[in-house]
Amino acid sequence: MTGPFKRKLPLPMTAFLVLAVAYVLLKLVRPVIPSSVVLLYMGFVLTGVVIHITLNDDRMRRFRDFFVPGAMEDRSFRLQRYGLLLVIPLVLAWGVYDGTRPRYAPPVEIFQRHPTAGDEILARIKVPDWAATPARWSADVVARGKTIYAANCAVCHGEQLDGQGPAAEGFRYPIRPANFRDAGTIAQLTLPYVYWRLTTGGIQNQFNSAMPRWVAPAGGHNDSTLHSNDLTPDEAWQVIVYLYKATGFQPRQESEVVDHRTH
Amino acid sequence: MRDRRALMVRSTCVAAALALVALGAGAALAQGTPVPPSYAEPARIDSRLVVWIAAQLHLMFAAFVLAVPMFALYIECMGWWQAKREPAQAARYDWLAHEMARLLPPAYSLTAITGAFLGFALFAAYPGFMGYMTSIFGPTFVVYPLFFVAETVFLYLWYYAWDRLQGDRKWVHVAIGVLLNVFGTIVMFIADAWATFMMTPAGVDQSGKLVSLYAAVWNPGWMPLNVHRLVANITFGALLCAAYAAYRFLLASDREERALYDWMGYTGNLIALFTMLFLPFAGYYFGFELFAFSATYGVTLMGGVLSWLFIIQAIVIASLFIGAAYYSWLGFLRIPGSEPQQRWVPVFNVILIAGFMVWATPHTMAASIEESTGGFHPLLGALGLMAPKMIAVTVILLVLYVSYMLYRRAGLVPTVPWAATGSIVQWGLIALTGAAIIGLGIYGYFAPAHIRILTSIWQILALIAGIIATFIIDQFLLRGARTVAAVRWGTMPGRGQYVLIALAFIIVWLMGLMGYARSAVRLNWHVFGIMEDTSAGAGLPSLGEAAIVVTTITLIFFVLLAGSFAISGLSAGAKGSHGGSHGTGRLAAAGEPGGRP
Repeated sequence: MTGPFKRKLPLPMTAFLVLAVAYVLLKLVRPVIPSSVVLLYMGFVLTGVVIHITLNDDRMRRFRDFFVPGAMEDRSFRLQRYGLLLVIPLVLAWGVYDGTRPRYAPPVEIFQRHPTAGDEILARIKVPDWAATPARWSADVVARGKTIYAANCAVCHGEQLDGQGPAAEGFRYPIRPANFRDAGTIAQLTLPYVYWRLTTGGIQNQFNSAMPRWVAPAGGHNDSTLHSNDLTPDEAWQVIVYLYKATGFQPRQESEVVDHRTH
Repeated sequence: MRDRRALMVRSTCVAAALALVALGAGAALAQGTPVPPSYAEPARIDSRLVVWIAAQLHLMFAAFVLAVPMFALYIECMGWWQAKREPAQAARYDWLAHEMARLLPPAYSLTAITGAFLGFALFAAYPGFMGYMTSIFGPTFVVYPLFFVAETVFLYLWYYAWDRLQGDRKWVHVAIGVLLNVFGTIVMFIADAWATFMMTPAGVDQSGKLVSLYAAVWNPGWMPLNVHRLVANITFGALLCAAYAAYRFLLASDREERALYDWMGYTGNLIALFTMLFLPFAGYYFGFELFAFSATYGVTLMGGVLSWLFIIQAIVIASLFIGAAYYSWLGFLRIPGSEPQQRWVPVFNVILIAGFMVWATPHTMAASIEESTGGFHPLLGALGLMAPKMIAVTVILLVLYVSYMLYRRAGLVPTVPWAATGSIVQWGLIALTGAAIIGLGIYGYFAPAHIRILTSIWQILALIAGIIATFIIDQFLLRGARTVAAVRWGTMPGRGQYVLIALAFIIVWLMGLMGYARSAVRLNWHVFGIMEDTSAGAGLPSLGEAAIVVTTITLIFFVLLAGSFAISGLSAGAKGSHGGSHGTGRLAAAGEPGGRP
């Protein structure tokens, strides 16, 4: 029981190993987890380790004593102490260097999946009767929407509406074309919002999006993107109806502001 | 006594001044329908910033003075209930309730001062907007100061008549406390109507003209905000009381004093933890109503410009829960025979940390060009959705409850003949509750949105049912239990006290952040959909700027609070080391706390 491998590891070493293993595991996940999220997770793991050590007076004493040279300790114990005292500052120094060294990549940005459109904009968008509720979506409208989608949208958003179109690989940063089959996209949005997003695109490029503007604003021609005049408003609505029908999602209910006001 | 009367007169004057401001300005500015708002920049200061700071400070002090009488009265009633059977324990409860109430008079003065400042700032900087609000809520502007004055009178009566209304006259004191709480709640409900009308206006026609004052008050956001604020205020007040107790614990000069303030800190944390169980659900209720009112709110809050604020909120809430749980687990050190229970703590720790990692996972991430996967990350995109977060937070709440249950058990040996069976049933029920929560969550993940909302409600119901069932069994199981190791109050390590103080900072900061979120979600509207904000400062600040303002407000709040407590301590110091007639004598009478709630 006196061999180095049968002896219990000192507490600070165990704590360090827990942190190291957690970090390595997080780094091994593919596709990579962004460093902002790894940092967040490691903050929680570190908190858990600190809680574990400080919940018990004996553990706190053992943690502290590890760093205080004692008369009875052996060589392996000393090696672990000085090793840890060397590795911890090196890890921190690497973190500082890595965080501040010059890079050619654009800086990390906080990305908003759904750009914020004011209610004064969305309230002006009138949904045609034939598109307003799923019950009124005719097979003819869906078929026309499918044709328009295949001709204009599928190249990026994919035939399967999964964001995996042939051109999707060309848009890597900050985001690839939306995957409409994901519950975080159209399923969360109202019809006027989806119409606004489709017709306005990434106006270009306030919303960090490669999506073109597909419909010219009311009252005229617009050349802000290559596709600005490609679709009519009705065609845009047909595509939207097709998106919901094909994915099986329902649009979010619209604002109830008007109903509430007069009650 | 003269000081007290002077204080009452001063506070009543402030309240009366508020009423005059409201009435005068209301009469001058009342308009039928909203006109394009006019703006002024008094003293060339950023009006929006001034109103932001004044409103948030006022809300914080108001939350404190509203919440403390609620649980202090409850504790006082517990003492009153036990007065005949266990006079020593009753005296301790009375001491604790009074010790909490002792913080009220200085905080109440600051509530009135910040409220008056907010009123002046609003009428001076936003005359058009306030004119419109007066045209809608004129009658409530008249009623509000009356209830405010009533709250003032009953608060000072409740506090200063404490010693006179003991013994047979205790019921009068309790009745005063009840009325204080009723008036305080009404005051908050009235102010909530104004705030929620700005978010979810009702009772007006398309042009914004008043149709029904009743509907304007009872607008869709009113009751959810009332519920949310009531619960959150109690958490807020309890944690501030606990921080005060921690401060007194650290300064305590003898064992007895340390024991009492340890008990006070424990009680404050327990109240906070209990109310925190309901807080996420009160928040969801408010969120659901907002989303139902306007989908724009949902997108803005969850996927749009404020979505990252909610990631910060998730991390801050996690800190709050982790801190409160840590303090609770440290409490096992007070009980020498609690080793069997302490064995579970590392397991709880792992569940808590893993749960909060899921809870704080962002659905949309901040990524560099090398890290960007384009769309949602397959793993994080899944964890960032509502269903896994609901599983995480509900399981965490279950773990916190089980920690509390073990704390109740520590050092006790049940003597009922069915103790072993009872324990097995309890653990079985807890396992069943956990399985139901996880099962419902997994089902909800794959179900459509409208089903997912239902499964989240069922998860909450499963949790509540599990808690109620096991707690009832626990009550009977521990009846007549043999004590092998009593709680040694006053032996809590110093680090536990610093955690309590940190928790107070965290809750104040969180309240500031969410106050900003509630206001910012209206975007460029004074009154959503009715009166647009056309002032120069109508845009939202960046998250960083907002965080700086919230931090500044937090610091100002604590400086004001500490200053007011110090001033009240000056007069206490002249009479006795612990607060005049309620100090040393009351402390000595209270003795050391014995049981645990």
